[in-house]
Amino acid sequence: MKILSLFAVVLVWLPISTAVGQTADISPEQFGLEHICEFLNLKPDDISFRSDFTEPDSFRLKIVAELMSHPLSMIDYVSETKDAWVPGQPEIPSAILSQDLIGEYQTDRSQPYQPNTSEIQRKHNLYFANLSLNQLLSKAALYLDVIIPKSAEKALARLSSEQRSFLVNEFPELLIIHEEEEFFSIEENDSLEKTEEAYTEQFVEFGTLIDKDPIVAAGIDCLRQILLDVGVLRDALRRGELSKQELIKGTSYLPNQTTAQHFLGLQKGWAVGGPGNDYYEGDYYFILDVGGDDVYNLSYDPANPHCVIIIDLSGDDHYRSKTNFTLGSGCLSVGLLLDFEGNDRYDAKSFGLGSAFFGFGLLYDARGDDRYDGDTHVQGAGTFGIGLLIDESGRDIYNGALHCQGFGFVEGLGAIYEIDGSDSYYAGGKYKDVLRYEDHYLSLSQGFGYGLRPYASGGIGAIFDMKGNDSYYSDIFAQGTSYWWSLGIIYDSSGNDNYQSFQYAQGTATHMSLGVLIDDCGNDVYFGKGLMQGCGHDYSCGLLLDRSGDDTYTAYDLSQAAGSANGAGVLIDNEGNDRYSVRNSDNTHGYGNPRRSFGSIGLFIDLAGSDQYQGYGCDNHYWKTPSKWGGGIDIEINPPDTTAGENTQ
Amino acid sequence: MNWMKISTVVKALSLVLICSLVPIHAESDLQHKVDSLFVIASSGELRYRDMTQPAIDSIAALGVSAVPLLVDKFTTKSARERWTVIWILRKIGSDAVPYLVSSLNRSDGLVVQRICWALGDIKDTTAVIPLMSVLEHKRWQVREQAVGALGKIGDSRAADAVMRVLYDSVGQVRKAAVVACGALAVQESIVGLVHTLNDQFYGARLEVANSLLKLDTTMVMEVLVDSIKSEKQMIGNLICQLLGEYGTDEAIEILLNQVLNSPDATRRAHAAVALIKADPQDNCDYRTTILERETDRLTRLKIESTISDLQNESE
Repeated sequence: MKILSLFAVVLVWLPISTAVGQTADISPEQFGLEHICEFLNLKPDDISFRSDFTEPDSFRLKIVAELMSHPLSMIDYVSETKDAWVPGQPEIPSAILSQDLIGEYQTDRSQPYQPNTSEIQRKHNLYFANLSLNQLLSKAALYLDVIIPKSAEKALARLSSEQRSFLVNEFPELLIIHEEEEFFSIEENDSLEKTEEAYTEQFVEFGTLIDKDPIVAAGIDCLRQILLDVGVLRDALRRGELSKQELIKGTSYLPNQTTAQHFLGLQKGWAVGGPGNDYYEGDYYFILDVGGDDVYNLSYDPANPHCVIIIDLSGDDHYRSKTNFTLGSGCLSVGLLLDFEGNDRYDAKSFGLGSAFFGFGLLYDARGDDRYDGDTHVQGAGTFGIGLLIDESGRDIYNGALHCQGFGFVEGLGAIYEIDGSDSYYAGGKYKDVLRYEDHYLSLSQGFGYGLRPYASGGIGAIFDMKGNDSYYSDIFAQGTSYWWSLGIIYDSSGNDNYQSFQYAQGTATHMSLGVLIDDCGNDVYFGKGLMQGCGHDYSCGLLLDRSGDDTYTAYDLSQAAGSANGAGVLIDNEGNDRYSVRNSDNTHGYGNPRRSFGSIGLFIDLAGSDQYQGYGCDNHYWKTPSKWGGGIDIEINPPDTTAGENTQ
Repeated sequence: MNWMKISTVVKALSLVLICSLVPIHAESDLQHKVDSLFVIASSGELRYRDMTQPAIDSIAALGVSAVPLLVDKFTTKSARERWTVIWILRKIGSDAVPYLVSSLNRSDGLVVQRICWALGDIKDTTAVIPLMSVLEHKRWQVREQAVGALGKIGDSRAADAVMRVLYDSVGQVRKAAVVACGALAVQESIVGLVHTLNDQFYGARLEVANSLLKLDTTMVMEVLVDSIKSEKQMIGNLICQLLGEYGTDEAIEILLNQVLNSPDATRRAHAAVALIKADPQDNCDYRTTILERETDRLTRLKIESTISDLQNESE
């Protein structure tokens, strides 16, 4: 009888679920996309780009190639990737992200160097008394002295010494801009362009010989192993089983005629600091500091690449760079900076603060209100490797000039995971965009993917910010944007956020690339001039998805769902009472322009709320713009519930 | 005596050498001149903007002699430089065509596709036959540019060749053929064009309407009437849009039939929107009929939006 009743319930439920299935089975944005496509005689799959518009290169990432074929899958990709973060375990997102660095035609991944028994069982003279500390130091020594250098050697094994030297001396010039370039004559500029082109051509000749996988994998393994031992030490300290002083206590007796450098933890370039305020200066390999407000004044010589591990357990610390390639910087190697407590200040030059330059670079800050300053290729920036900055709490400030804050260059992935706190991100203000403006600066940051057009496909740049009222400020090229076979991402989960930029920003993609900005919650403000807020230019797809909140969108032109030169621009707002304002209604709100004798695609989708428009769009309306091809829908995805009114009556 | 002989020989040799160097020197002079001007012509920087057009004009003024040097620059990886070459060749015009045509057999497909592009922009009919000869080029970009150029030149000799390209394996090439069929007014292409309304590539699919509107209405209508029954939803929906553009009695009758009888809400919406646009003043009172019968919430909103847009336009 029970079974029969259940069957009857199922029968009754079936037609109901089918009736509402229109929206219940798929996400609102998916429904919106399918619905607008039907209206415009398009199919969601029409947003797809061939891989052979230009000559394919060997640096293209598989995930970028796949997403170029199905750009709307960026939404699912972002959802999966933001979930990679696990509290207190930076090795997990590192490992997950490393999977996305597989090349388009790569079938297997190289492993790090596997040490032999004698290397593993290498004996050390022990100075410190604490067993756990010695275990940590032994493990660090194994990675610093054996696994990472040999993995780096494996990564670069097929390169000549000239080619290795090119990576250190010439290649950085493809990422760096010099302020004086702003004042170059037309001939000097041409010469500079030709030089950079020559460097690029020189690099692509041998760049495919580099295998970043062993070094990245070795770095992640090292991180995993080190964190286990650091965890044991921190637990012991937290439980009061030993004091910081006891932890770093040395043996009371040293044999005659022995220098301290023969002991584990006291080697050259190694330091173990106590609970007081310590000062470290120079080119270090390993630092463990158990407490105090410390000052680090560090340097690094890229001509002599090596792994750097810095672990600071507590205190308000000040990390400073004397040279480039410091502070969580993996330059032809691995750089780990793990800070577990305190309000810290990080002052880097270039290539630092979670920067990978042919390697793996991680800056992990577990607590505190922190400030990150740097110039170029900083704060989650990856070139041939993974550059990661993970900040798990506090109200943080990020300040950089160029190629920073989630920047992915060739075969690279750069990302920031910002887990808590109201944060502010600023990128730009130093290197003028002389091509386009006399008074605007390049940012190329904040979830920006970048490639060497048309020589080498780019990487993945991303910011994942989980909480807080965040502010993003930039100028040209930023905020979930990309250039040349690359992917730029901003995902902001909650809070009332403010996105400000001037051009090429907020879910915009240019020249065969993909840009996406997804904001889940909060009343957000998006402001900028042009090529913004869901804009795809030249066989590219730019997408802005705001899932809820009362949002304000302001732009001048070629924005808010604009496709240009056969690109696709998509703006989706699922919920909330929003306001859309544009200056030029002729190329916004679902616009596409023709190039190569056919149109682009602009899809504007608002699925709920009472919305205000200044421009072509309109509340509760379907429209096709007089363009090739685009339009918009402003509908109530769920019909208004009238039952309450009926019951009252 | 010997010295006299030697001196004469040396003088004679020097003369020969000088004579042979004159064209080389002139050639390298020209190369140098074009290169120097090209740096300026292709400069993208804002502050040098005023200098680019004069530089383009100066190279174009060199005429035919500059063409081989410009074609060599088609190998560039820079989009800005590529555009600059096109602009200059366009300015040189028909004089550039013989050399461009002779370069269509180059082995570098990238250069060939860019030459096709330039020939289309110059619009000289002497390029038609040579362009037809590369319509089966193995590189799809060459086929796309060649068929596009034939459409731009507008010479009916290319009609048959262009029509065949409607069935190319690459969407971008089919799109170019669709556009060219319209530009060349190839009446024989109507069936092929209607078939392309279901093309997998949206560029080809959505360009069909523009091309069909350039062809004989009676002949097109004949095919549309038949094809609206197609099982392919996209074909029917796009035909509704086209019928609205034609707005003939026959077209309106078909649309009304779709509005009243189609079980598919999307089809009803496409037909209703087309019908309302075909009768913007609502002389036949279709709007009331349609809205009275339509029950689907979102379909009604589409119809109401169209009505409201038309009212706003007329105000």
